[in-house]
Amino acid sequence: MSNASDLSLTRVKAGGSTIIRYMEVVKRYGDFTALSGVSLDVYAGEVVCLIGPSGSGKSTLLRCTNGLETIDGGDIEFEGSRLARDERGLRAMRQRMGMVFQNFELFPHLTAEQNVAEGPRTVQRSGTAEARRRALAMLDKVGLADKAASFPSALSGGQQQRVAIARALAMEPDVMLFDEPTSALDPETIGEVLGVMKALADEGMTMVVVTHEMSFARRVGDWVAVFDAGRIVEEGPPAQIFDRPATARTRDFLSHLGWNG
Amino acid sequence: MTFDWSVVWQHRDALAGGTATTFLLTFATMAIAVPCGLLVAALRLNGPAPVRAIATAYVELFRNLPLILVVYWAYYVLPILTGLGLPALATGLAALSLNVTAYNSETFRAGINSIRRGQVEAAMALGMSRAQALRRVVAPQALRRITPVLASTWVSLFKDTSLVSVIAVTELAYVSMQIRAQTFRVLEMLTAMAAIYWLLGYPQAKLVDWIQRRYAVTE
Repeated sequence: MSNASDLSLTRVKAGGSTIIRYMEVVKRYGDFTALSGVSLDVYAGEVVCLIGPSGSGKSTLLRCTNGLETIDGGDIEFEGSRLARDERGLRAMRQRMGMVFQNFELFPHLTAEQNVAEGPRTVQRSGTAEARRRALAMLDKVGLADKAASFPSALSGGQQQRVAIARALAMEPDVMLFDEPTSALDPETIGEVLGVMKALADEGMTMVVVTHEMSFARRVGDWVAVFDAGRIVEEGPPAQIFDRPATARTRDFLSHLGWNG
Repeated sequence: MTFDWSVVWQHRDALAGGTATTFLLTFATMAIAVPCGLLVAALRLNGPAPVRAIATAYVELFRNLPLILVVYWAYYVLPILTGLGLPALATGLAALSLNVTAYNSETFRAGINSIRRGQVEAAMALGMSRAQALRRVVAPQALRRITPVLASTWVSLFKDTSLVSVIAVTELAYVSMQIRAQTFRVLEMLTAMAAIYWLLGYPQAKLVDWIQRRYAVTE
């Protein structure tokens, strides 16, 4: 296997350090097993996309990453150490992981700028002036410097999600977790959010993205994991997953979405 | 039939004193029932199971008893239970506070519960502690939803203080009834009493309307 096209089938950034390592992660809700032994590595600078049908466990895995859900088995390592189980340790780790939610979850009583400054101000105690400076810089980065004084209710869905990305970035995280960031958006505003995410990926940000946007996973993703019924049924570079899927499950899923390469 | 409205003016000092006591009861009851209501709500939301059960029982008991019954109960039964002979004003205040605390705790509980779970998760994902999330994210939003309800409770309470007249607390209703009994000027005194309550209550109700518009939540 030495011809050039096979380069797209290797894990280019696997040489870097492992940022997140999921090891046989199990999560149950009562009788329902949401994750039945999921293992996956995320390397520094990689964009790892989690795809698969609804309810297959992708979002659950993402929420276990920063301890919003506790795991019932296996282990998760973040930057070389086991994910903390105590509040204090968990809080320290969460500060290094930014999270973006499907429903934005901006704080409605705060302006865009205050939303972004909230983390630095309350959690990092960086001082009001520094928090403000960082907030404006982050809003500028997502192209919303002119909306600093706007309340979330005055912003479009796409704008709200960009503010939410700025809010997570203001903590200067080592990794960004995206939980279906465009699923609640009107089609015409999806592009602006994906654009910001693409720019972030180009800067070398490590990202784990739960998404139904196959073209984003195809173009921006470095590695794609396909979920089904609480397991990863296939993982690989986008070229493999989308062009030469190895499992029937992956083919089924992609054909249901109308994906044809 | 002749009317003698001068009776109202003659007793202006007594009526003013009664009005002052009515305001005092309203302020004092709220001053007790807001922090206590918050405490009861916190116990119902976060307390261990037995404490939750007791707090719930308290709320459901006092929310569903007629206030006048609670007033009588505080007057006759509380001294027997506690061995304390409280003055009428303190007894009335206790009865009102028991009732309004129960209402306020429900208001607080509903206000806090109305904030989406995702808001707390977003705060925690930033690295906030639960206490910080409550203080910085949940409380400010809940307060906006709670304020109009507390304002309505205030207006109801202002009128309901008249119920403690049955245990001879010298607030506006009691004073008016006393003057009526002494002068036999029934129509004049009832009308005067109605006028005073209305003139004082109406601006408060208008203020509540304004607060409700002012704090309307837009998401």
